[in-house]
Amino acid sequence: MHLRPITAVGLIAMAASPALAQSKTEVLDTYANIAQAGYEDSLIKAQALQKAVDALVETPSAEALQAARQAWLEARVPYQQTEIYRFGNAIVDDWEGKVNAWPLDEGLIDYVDASYGGPTDANQLAALNVVANPSFSLGGSEVDASEITPDLLEGQLHEAGAVEANVATGYHAVEFLLWGQDLNGTDYGSGNRPWTDYSAGEDCTNGNCDRRGDYLQAATDLLVSDLEWMSGQWAEGGAARAAVLEDEDAGINAILTGMGSLSYGEQAGERMKLGVMLNDPEEEHDCFSDNTHNSHYYDGLGVRNVYLGEYLRVDGSVVTGPALADLVAAADPDVAAELRDRLDATMVELGQIKSAAEAGFSYDMMLARGNAEGEALIMGAVDALVDQTRAIERAVTALGVEQIAFEGSDSLDDPEAVFQ
Amino acid sequence: MRAPLTAALCLAAAPALAGVAEVVDDHVLPATAAFAEATAVLEGAAAADCRGEALRPAYQDAFDAWLGISHLTLGPLEEDGTGLAIGFWPDARGMVGRTVARLVADEDPVARDTEGFSEVSVAGRGLFALERLLYDEAFAGYGADDYACTLAKAIAADLARMGGAVDAAWREDFAQTLKTAGAEDNSRFLDDREAAQALYTALATGLDFTAQQRLGRPMGSFEAPKPQVAEARRSDRPLRNVVLSLEALRELAMTLSDAPIPRTEAAFDRALETARTLDDPRLAGVAEPAGRLRVEALQTEIRAVTRAAAEEIAPALGVSVGFNSADGD
Repeated sequence: MHLRPITAVGLIAMAASPALAQSKTEVLDTYANIAQAGYEDSLIKAQALQKAVDALVETPSAEALQAARQAWLEARVPYQQTEIYRFGNAIVDDWEGKVNAWPLDEGLIDYVDASYGGPTDANQLAALNVVANPSFSLGGSEVDASEITPDLLEGQLHEAGAVEANVATGYHAVEFLLWGQDLNGTDYGSGNRPWTDYSAGEDCTNGNCDRRGDYLQAATDLLVSDLEWMSGQWAEGGAARAAVLEDEDAGINAILTGMGSLSYGEQAGERMKLGVMLNDPEEEHDCFSDNTHNSHYYDGLGVRNVYLGEYLRVDGSVVTGPALADLVAAADPDVAAELRDRLDATMVELGQIKSAAEAGFSYDMMLARGNAEGEALIMGAVDALVDQTRAIERAVTALGVEQIAFEGSDSLDDPEAVFQ
Repeated sequence: MRAPLTAALCLAAAPALAGVAEVVDDHVLPATAAFAEATAVLEGAAAADCRGEALRPAYQDAFDAWLGISHLTLGPLEEDGTGLAIGFWPDARGMVGRTVARLVADEDPVARDTEGFSEVSVAGRGLFALERLLYDEAFAGYGADDYACTLAKAIAADLARMGGAVDAAWREDFAQTLKTAGAEDNSRFLDDREAAQALYTALATGLDFTAQQRLGRPMGSFEAPKPQVAEARRSDRPLRNVVLSLEALRELAMTLSDAPIPRTEAAFDRALETARTLDDPRLAGVAEPAGRLRVEALQTEIRAVTRAAAEEIAPALGVSVGFNSADGD
């Protein structure tokens, strides 16, 4: 028997009522428009970050460091809302590791506290410290890192030794360079890197300030160019937009896959539940800056955006249009009502974490062993996300668009690959 | 080829009688009872003598029993992260080693606090924390009066508590939730199909976990194999876990499907045969090209089981794979 590889394109779509044919394309248009606006907003904010970083490196001061941190925090708002596009869109999934990889062994990049430890079983480069080392050996060959450039970070350091924790680029590398390690454990407080880590000459703290500044600028420049590229993929004529529109049932499936995968396996499981079960502040998504509450909040909002077909841009304008919610409502009003309720309930739960954190009960405190209130807050959001996932599964059934298992598994997509 | 077949069956909206009740009665409940029993024995063994030599057999038996239920990620094991607390793996960041080392170095009094121990990080609890104490050179050989002995007792007691709780939660609650799918007061499963889909998702997810994680993690890439991250390698269990998980998943598949599933069965048998004859308990062979090829072949055979199940079981039940907890990174 011919075993057909199960790929996203190979999905079987059923119950495709002809009356909905037109609006499916419209829904996909809205989905692509929101992606384009979200990546463009991310780019705009990354460019602002780039300016602030350049100012910090050229004229270091406490104010310049603070301005760069503020720019980073603002840049995260639109970007986190685009995370929904990672799942179900191969173009995004293949790319996002450069931009938002986490968690990272930050000792690869710069100095760390003694408590961090050295190389581990899993990562021989965990304490490489590129900022302090203009040359080092990598997989048996000598690497010239006398100049820290985007090419060095992207081409040689990122995921060096095939270790995912060697994150040399993206938001979290920049975050570490702006905040430094958070040494407060599960107590209140973020990383506290002194601005003098970027000072010239004798005022330089912790050594190699010029190389640290080079690294920060190179990583920020890469972030900008990567976002520029992704924004283009979703523009009219872009490859990501074309892929979504190519087959409308597969496109609808991509939206649902993204919603379910981000809600359940990624956010509820990997990011939130695991952190609280491990009591480990390093499990915070934005651990250096203590911005995890916002990271989770805007991830959740991104799911809601694509379902309802509505995205609030950073300039206050709104991108809106026919949405998946309309298709589901036409297919089964009860399922549509339930899913909307679930999405709203999730936002209330995530909003409670955010408001508690902003009032001083920070996310790392919530993770502390025996902190019942923190655990209840986080698990409340986890439960809401799990409920939401069930409602998404019901929407899949209502629309008759069977969803794909094990998305992103090379082996399933290409069973022959393992013989190569 | 799949399309017409699947479409035809799905249009007949009512699913075939799913073996939901059979799965619960013949697959799940015996296995949760066995795990409760094995962890109770472990706790008793630790109370009698918490030193490594004495405790290893009961640890191995408890781990065997865990493989009978570790794929049941819906319901009691998912709630409150109990599954993670029993078996925290994969451990991509080496948290178990660090957490156990810290507990021992600090002689953390939490090990003497029965209530409080359940608040400890999952990296310091469960089968993998116990494995460190019993098999890792850094700890093994501790004496009866050492802190590590107290910690082993605490971990064993915590496991027994969770083993009992999981069995009770299945028996007294979640079994009914599955069996009464579609009843008016059942908001978890709105119809039989949802219950069958949840169990089918557990099957597909379990197969993927064994192929991608239990085998895939130590395989790493051809250039960078990682035998040191194989599951429970310190206690020589990597291959044994693969075999036992396949046996459990085979039983789930057989009980879930009402119709005969000859191709799925044959695929399971092929994979099991390969696994049983692999003769590489720690999967250490992945570091060599020849050994790696054999592990890859097994991985391919497990994926063939997934495909057979997708073509044979899923259409008969009118289900597809739901979202699963492995959908993240």
